[in-house]
Amino acid sequence: MEDFLHSIQSLNYTVAAVALPLFAALINLCLPVKSKAAGWISTIAILLSCVLSARVFATVWNNPQVHAQRIWFTIGETQVYAGILLNNLSVLMLLLVSVIALPVHIYSTAYMKHDDRYSRYFTYLSFFCFSMLALVVVDSLILFYAFWELVGFSSYLLIGFWFTKDKAIQANKKAFIMNRIGDIGLLSAIIILFAQFHTFDIDTIFAGKGLIAQSVIKNGLWIGPVGQIPALWQYVACAGIFLAVAAKSAQFPLHTWLPDAMEGPTSVSALIHAATMVAAGVFLLGRVYPMFTETELTILACIGCFTAFMAATIALTQNDLKRILAYSTISQLGFMILAMGVRAYASSLFHLATHAFFKCLLFLVAGIVIHQMQHIKDDNQLDIDPQDITHMGGLRKKLPITFIAAVIGAVALVGLPFTSGYLSKDGILIQAFDWGERQNGWLKIVPVTALLTSLLTAFYVSRLIFKVFFGELRLLKTNPDIKLHLSDGGWQYKLPLVLLAVCCLFPVFSFNPFYFEHAWLYIGLAHPHFPKLESSYHTIIPRVVTILNLLVLLEAYRMYVQAKRFKFSQNNFFYRLSYNQWYIDNLYKRAIVNPVLRLGSVCFWIDRTVVDGFLQLLARISGAIAKLAAWTDEYIVDGFLHLLAAIVQSIGNFARKFQSGKVQYYLFSMLVIVLLLFILKILI
Amino acid sequence: MITLTDFLVVSAALFCIGLYMTVSKRNAIQILIGIELILNAAILNLVAYGKYDKVNNSGQIFALFAIVLAAATTAVALAIILNVYRRYKTIDPNDINKLKD
Repeated sequence: MEDFLHSIQSLNYTVAAVALPLFAALINLCLPVKSKAAGWISTIAILLSCVLSARVFATVWNNPQVHAQRIWFTIGETQVYAGILLNNLSVLMLLLVSVIALPVHIYSTAYMKHDDRYSRYFTYLSFFCFSMLALVVVDSLILFYAFWELVGFSSYLLIGFWFTKDKAIQANKKAFIMNRIGDIGLLSAIIILFAQFHTFDIDTIFAGKGLIAQSVIKNGLWIGPVGQIPALWQYVACAGIFLAVAAKSAQFPLHTWLPDAMEGPTSVSALIHAATMVAAGVFLLGRVYPMFTETELTILACIGCFTAFMAATIALTQNDLKRILAYSTISQLGFMILAMGVRAYASSLFHLATHAFFKCLLFLVAGIVIHQMQHIKDDNQLDIDPQDITHMGGLRKKLPITFIAAVIGAVALVGLPFTSGYLSKDGILIQAFDWGERQNGWLKIVPVTALLTSLLTAFYVSRLIFKVFFGELRLLKTNPDIKLHLSDGGWQYKLPLVLLAVCCLFPVFSFNPFYFEHAWLYIGLAHPHFPKLESSYHTIIPRVVTILNLLVLLEAYRMYVQAKRFKFSQNNFFYRLSYNQWYIDNLYKRAIVNPVLRLGSVCFWIDRTVVDGFLQLLARISGAIAKLAAWTDEYIVDGFLHLLAAIVQSIGNFARKFQSGKVQYYLFSMLVIVLLLFILKILI
Repeated sequence: MITLTDFLVVSAALFCIGLYMTVSKRNAIQILIGIELILNAAILNLVAYGKYDKVNNSGQIFALFAIVLAAATTAVALAIILNVYRRYKTIDPNDINKLKD
């Protein structure tokens, strides 16, 4: 009975937590565009959501799942249910999203202070929070799809928030179109799942002993408890899911939208494009995890690994502060997908949680830095890109709190001991090596690549930190007489940094800073039937990685701060490959965008010349017919009448002549008529 | 020997001359003369055909009768012409076109 009451309470709290941001968004929509109240309405809503989520989390975590649903609608025999599913995964995401969203909201109240569309910003932000919170708790695939679309839509709105910038418009279009590709995949997967299992209920399909667990693939058939379809459809469904994950979580080959999405406000990048929405793909994988077969998981691992490696190499050479972080996000998401692929389910989600905190923190730091650079630019009327790290340097003395936060975030991202990143990333690496042990052939490369990627991460993060915060401000070298008024900003800037920085440290997740298995989050998510790790990797990997990371950091320090070591040549193939982001954008532009544009112009031409031409021809023909008709009317119909009139007139005139009043004429006429009569008489 | 045809030819010639005068002349008196010529052509025919009549000389008598009547009509016509002249100060029939109404 008590359990029942608890679950009812949890459900109510969840609904409230999800609905509050929606109400905030609706209220903000009614406020004037510049109203400063909007920020506080949204922030209070998300604060309450956060508190409610924490209550729900405390009730549900490590307890039996809470699942409530009611009939939504009925089509024919099929009853479609809608409801809420609270298990460890969803309450974790619920708490994570609201906890990350809170500092971002606080930060935004200051960051967007001078924006002309302040309340619109918070409308969109609250709307995003609503969609994201709903996404993680719904229990029906249809609702999941709906909110999946809504988070994509709010992301679209926020990327293009500064819609007067052409680049922002291009970026949000790109993000939207890329996400549409993924949405098609998700939709087809949902349709196939429904065709196979006749239900949209996530719990029924994917639970531990659910319909998926009872299905087998045998003799080219996918046999489930309620029906069977060719096994091909299982592969198509998995491919669809993967497409959705790749689009939302920016995995190769659909990753190119994420770096461009940095055109949005930095606070948005922090919340949506680093911490929460892009993790939705990983969350989706977590939801539908049981449906993947061993081979499909291997493909997943390879793609995740490749994405992680590629993005890390690109991040090495980028100069745009936010772009580096964006590629780092892609790389870390690749790690999560890799972890999913190597059956490190819990580690993947653990990394999702830790990554959300430190990447959000790094983005907020980047926001402050960019804000200050923008100030310098505006105060001194310089023509610089405020996001370009080659202008920065030495900011650690000017922005001390930001610097400390950045270092904590960076250390967590690199995965040095005593941080949350160490716990989660080592979990992934250890399990990847363990998995690699059991594979044969070229699959053994995967864990090695992951390790290499981890080292590359260390390098690009340290490059970022050293270039931005160490040395001297490079802008002073080129413009010696500029004035600087730099500061960390008000409490709205400092508080979120402090909150997030604290969350990047190990005690939040585990009291033992060295064993990821001891993290409460890992224990809560680990499936009991996943194998326990008892390999030697467990002791070797963390030490090796830490030592190598430290070496890389040292090297980077000597290279960028002391400038003692050689600089990399900027002319070789690898540099260009990395700097141009592996030419993937160019490739897409040549292979897809340009042909599509050409197709578009061909269609336009066809429309203009053939379709319009045909219509114009029709118009001309009918014009000609009309003219012909007018001519006929004027000359034939009217002409006939005129002719009649003329005949009558001439007859009249002719007859009139006889009435001349001249006597002789009358006589003559009479004579002629009489003669005619006689002639006629003779002739006839 | 003068045949009937000769009379008829003369009569036709007289009729044609009279008719021509009546139609073409610009003087009312001349028109009147034309009319008299036509009458005379008719009277000539009367006399010529009278030869074939059962009653003797009925043609000549009828002709005399007609000549008297013609004289009477001529007198009336002259009176009309006189009145026309008084009224219009001309006897050109082309100028007198009040009959048109």
